[in-house]
Formats: sequence, C-alpha cells, structure tokens
Amino acid sequence: MPDFSISRETLPNDIELVKVSGFLDAHTFEQLEEALNELFSQGRYRIIVDLTNVDYISSAGAGVFIAALSETQEKGGQIVLLNPTKGVLDVFDLLGLTQIFSVVKDRQEAVAAF
Amino acid sequence: MSEPVRRELTIPNETQYLAAVREGVREVVTLGRFPEKELNKLTLAVDEAVTNVMEHAYEYDLEGEMHIQVVLEANDTQFVACIRDWGKAFDPTAVPTPDLTRHVAEGRRHGLGIFLIRQIMDEVSYRSTPEGCNELRLLKRAKASERDVRGAVAVRGGRGL
Repeated sequence: MPDFSISRETLPNDIELVKVSGFLDAHTFEQLEEALNELFSQGRYRIIVDLTNVDYISSAGAGVFIAALSETQEKGGQIVLLNPTKGVLDVFDLLGLTQIFSVVKDRQEAVAAF
Repeated sequence: MSEPVRRELTIPNETQYLAAVREGVREVVTLGRFPEKELNKLTLAVDEAVTNVMEHAYEYDLEGEMHIQVVLEANDTQFVACIRDWGKAFDPTAVPTPDLTRHVAEGRRHGLGIFLIRQIMDEVSYRSTPEGCNELRLLKRAKASERDVRGAVAVRGGRGL
C-alpha cells in the first residue's frame, strides 16, 4: 500500500496548492481534513488540491471535499481539484460531484480557475 | 460458468485493514474472471460496507474482541461479498437514500457510503442472526456483454455464498 502523504505549497495570488498521495479512505481522510482545516484557520480559502497521485478514494475522502467546498464558498474562496485519476473521477461521478466541483487537468488551468 | 474463487478474511476493527479488504476484492475479481471493468466499483462498495461496520456496529471502538469477517466470492457471472460482524445491529438497507444535493449544500460528509453501495450493487440484503451476528450480503451480476469468454481457471472453489 502506498504511503499516504500531504504536502503544501503557497502560490502567487494567495492560492494554496495541496498535493495528496496514496489512498484516501476511512483510514487516511482525517489527515487531509486536518490539513485543510489548518489552511482555513489561517484564513486561506483559495485552494488547489492536486490529486494526480491519489489512486483510490472512498466516500470518507469525498466527504472531506464536500465539507471543504462548503467552507470555502462561505468565505468567498474556492477549491479546485487538479488532475484526478479515472478511479477518483468515477467515484465523484457516482456521487454526482463532478458537476459541483471545479475539476481541471493542469496546474495552469487550476490557477486560472480563481 | 466458471468455478468460483473464494477468499475469507477476518480483520480487526481498525481502518488500517481496509487496504487488505480491497486487495482481497481485487484478487477474487481477477482470479474469478469477473469483468475487471467493475473492479474499482466493487472494491469501493465492499470498502464502504466494512467502513460502515467499523463506524456503526463497533463505533470505531478498539476495545475488546471486535473483528469483521469478509467473505468474497466471484466467478465470471457474479461477485458476492458477505460482511459479518458481532457488534451493534445496524441495517444499512433500512437507511433512506440520502439527498445528495442537500448533503453537499450542508457540507455533510457522512452517509454517502450507503448511497454508493446501492448505486454499485445489484442486490443488498441484511440479516441479524439470533446468535448476534449481523450479515450484509452484496451481489453484483456480470453483464453478458462484458463476460470473459476465455473461460475461468478455478484457483480455489468453495461453498456458494
């Protein structure tokens, strides 16, 4: 099982890039939740989540994005999902989330989404 | 119809073991020659069912002898998963299908697993035995157009679920 990891990078225009790697399930979702909550506590609501290296997501993981979407929108920010794998997109499709989230293929497009 | 491939896993009530359950699904689907197109969704459905047991039947409680039995069986025509626990009775089939639009609007992150299980599986049934066992059975039938026509190699047979 690939190790789960999260890294953070601040981009120009107050945008935060959060890179997630590994399986995002009931075992790991709290780590992502904590990372996003830390950004919120710092008043950071313009967030790109890079999902290139997330091969699997369950509803526990998807639920983190639902909560984060609500939080960012309330504060006038946005959460953009960058380059999700087909497996991850399939789950978002099943939950009807692909129409709700801003989903982009590359970093340039992600930055331009704000 | 090919011989079914069967795997039985008994895991502790800890989320770190979800990965082993997902690996078990991958193994029976592949070896049983159930259409691989369905692999990700079947993996997700079983993961969600086991996660629900951890959350509801055992409430993530690590104390005491709490374990979950997962029996997986597949051939080229159907995939069946039986998830058994001995915790608090929880019938996921009795839970109303969540209104996803409302869920998202309210930023709620729970309750999506049952929705996914129902979306993915053809049959979902639950029973509680007098011995205190809760059993959730998930079944998915292969579409005739997606079946592997090469025929299956039985790796290990077993009693039908």
